Amino acid sequence: MALRFHWMFPKGGEVGMKTAQETSRVATTMRNSPAAIPDMAGWTRFARAAEESGIESVLLSFSRYEPDTILIACAMGRATSTLKYIVAYRSGLIQPAPFVQQINTLSGFIGGRVALNIVAGSSTAEQRGYGDYLEHDDRYARADEFLSICRSFWDGDDVDFDGQHYRIERGKLHTRFTAPDRRAPEVYVAGHSEQAVKLAVSKGDAWVRLIDTPEKLAPAVANARAQGIEVCLRCCVICRETRDEAIAAMQALKPAEEIERQERAILKASDSKTLHDALAAADDQGWMGRSLYAGLVPFYGSSCITLIGSPDELAGQFLEYKNIGVTQFIIAGWPKLDEMVRFGRDVLPLVRQKEVVSAQVLGVRKDLRLNT
Amino acid sequence: MTNALRFHWMLPKAFEVALDGRQTPGEAARYRIESTRPESRSPQPDADGWLHFATRAEEAGIESVLISFSRYEPEPFVVACALGRATTRLKYIVAYRSGLMSPTSFVQQINTLSALIDGRVAINIVAGSAAAENRGYGDFLAHDERYGRAEEFLAAANAFWRDGHDGVDFDGRYYKLEKGMIHTPFTSPDRGAPEIYVSGHSEQSMQLAASQGTCWLRAADAPEKIAPQVARMRAQGIGVCLRAAVCCRPTRDEAIRVVQSLLPPDKQESTIALKNDSRMYAESRSTDGWVTRSLWAGLVPHYGPVWTTLLGTPEELAGAFLAYKEIGVDQFILSGWPEVDEVGIFGAEVIPRVRDAERRQVA
Repeated sequence: MALRFHWMFPKGGEVGMKTAQETSRVATTMRNSPAAIPDMAGWTRFARAAEESGIESVLLSFSRYEPDTILIACAMGRATSTLKYIVAYRSGLIQPAPFVQQINTLSGFIGGRVALNIVAGSSTAEQRGYGDYLEHDDRYARADEFLSICRSFWDGDDVDFDGQHYRIERGKLHTRFTAPDRRAPEVYVAGHSEQAVKLAVSKGDAWVRLIDTPEKLAPAVANARAQGIEVCLRCCVICRETRDEAIAAMQALKPAEEIERQERAILKASDSKTLHDALAAADDQGWMGRSLYAGLVPFYGSSCITLIGSPDELAGQFLEYKNIGVTQFIIAGWPKLDEMVRFGRDVLPLVRQKEVVSAQVLGVRKDLRLNT
Repeated sequence: MTNALRFHWMLPKAFEVALDGRQTPGEAARYRIESTRPESRSPQPDADGWLHFATRAEEAGIESVLISFSRYEPEPFVVACALGRATTRLKYIVAYRSGLMSPTSFVQQINTLSALIDGRVAINIVAGSAAAENRGYGDFLAHDERYGRAEEFLAAANAFWRDGHDGVDFDGRYYKLEKGMIHTPFTSPDRGAPEIYVSGHSEQSMQLAASQGTCWLRAADAPEKIAPQVARMRAQGIGVCLRAAVCCRPTRDEAIRVVQSLLPPDKQESTIALKNDSRMYAESRSTDGWVTRSLWAGLVPHYGPVWTTLLGTPEELAGAFLAYKEIGVDQFILSGWPEVDEVGIFGAEVIPRVRDAERRQVA
């Protein structure tokens, strides 16, 4: 199976931004940030470029600082023809039945090009603003029930459910999930905690986590794959003609100290294991491998562990992850549009070549074994 | 005219609109009756049919379409988003039941929608439907409690719209928010919050409309019968919008023939009308036949109270609408079969006569 490449959908206004500094979380969570406003012109430009670059899907993140993901996916999906939309949603904010009804309706309007990234919750403060007072572990238990119910609806049954968090009696939705090849959306579950992995395995199609070195990831990836789900890594990419140029480009991204101070505060205040892991990686070492750099995390957040290098080096890196069982990536870069176009033009063709070669090598090995 | 009557229309069911225009009123009605059956196409979104209708509605001078909410239909917010992106003037009144999502998420979705379609969104809050349907959505509250919750739901949503989406605290029986914040603002050329229609016939629905809404929505009835309620709402600064079906033909006899052709062949009461525990349904079933010379309730037992039908010639209908205006009604949400044909007739024949009369009144 060919590696699947998705990209982070830019926040409002980001497509037009020239510097990474403008896109820092500290900036995008300010009251007057353009991140709060849908940017259909910029997004449409980005989405069409993504389609041309060979990107399969974009991930729309969910927070109180941004527009609602499901409606943005609807508007964007109607303006594009092949790109898929992975919509992030938190399980405590809506009953599962109306959620499924929204997703199914969306699928009918955009040819089934929708997948879900179910998030159990965010920071406690943000959750309370949504009326959600559960703690981390309970949020996962609720997300498990939420997805169980969603799955029953997608199976087309009359849904009866009597759980700790949800109760449904003869639930029935007439609007089906519509896609050329699926009866239910792909469900991505993200997180580093044990509960996240369990939820991904029991109710998801793919486990999403931050990138780390292939050696470190190998056991967890093998475990997830053995249980029948895919593994998708979140990372950033900086690709330039040479490694030195790529490193120089990375250095130029570092912003002012004040941004670092505020971003550190956000990371530390969270009860997410993912965020704590990422910050620890950044502080421990910076460089996690020859091509993998965590030094941007204190500036741009946990998802900014970055693969850095020349096109050939990066393509080689992606194949290494493929070798340990990783099947998908969700990537971001700066500037948002330029880095994606560069990836599609310079890196992706090399990945596809290497995949062909590697499949041939495997085939030859298999033949040899058969012959001996 | 600042106080001109406002005319809205029901969005047809999915695939109800015949793109070739070849559909009798009876065929359109039959499609509606069968829309809750499992084999109906009406649960799947119908962008082509809807956009065909939306274009005709815009041309006819219709201000908004109401998108209803039920387990038999696509979800209204998503439908409004898709249609709103493809139209320029038409507004979308999205029906929603208050027990299904957090008010914070609701505000986030409505605000996002408003930004995507230039503020052309309004809300029709429904406290709930039949108990069986509500339970399928995970909602087990009884009728009166549902109104209590809807009151809190709208109060919390209004707090976001009124107080600037920052630091909303709410401590109620059904909802508790701590420093709620939504950065995406409600976006519209002329409003800071959506219009909120509260529908129902019960006392609770009137109170809810007055305390948290901008307009009370109910099924049409004889002007003299609803005049006191209308006056009461208007005195509290709340608009009144009537739901009705309409059938306009060159002669009254022809209009009567058309509406009678809409009766289902087996004369069975529809399951929609029977399974509902709301007062709106109970009331409508006790009426039968002619309410006034222009208002016929004969379809109600089969299709529900919103099919109380205004019928007659263009002049008669214009007169009927003005009689409602006289008692304080300011808006209508109409429907007719087939929807595309009826909205066209209405726009060509009735609206101009209403506007002429309104101009004469002003002069």
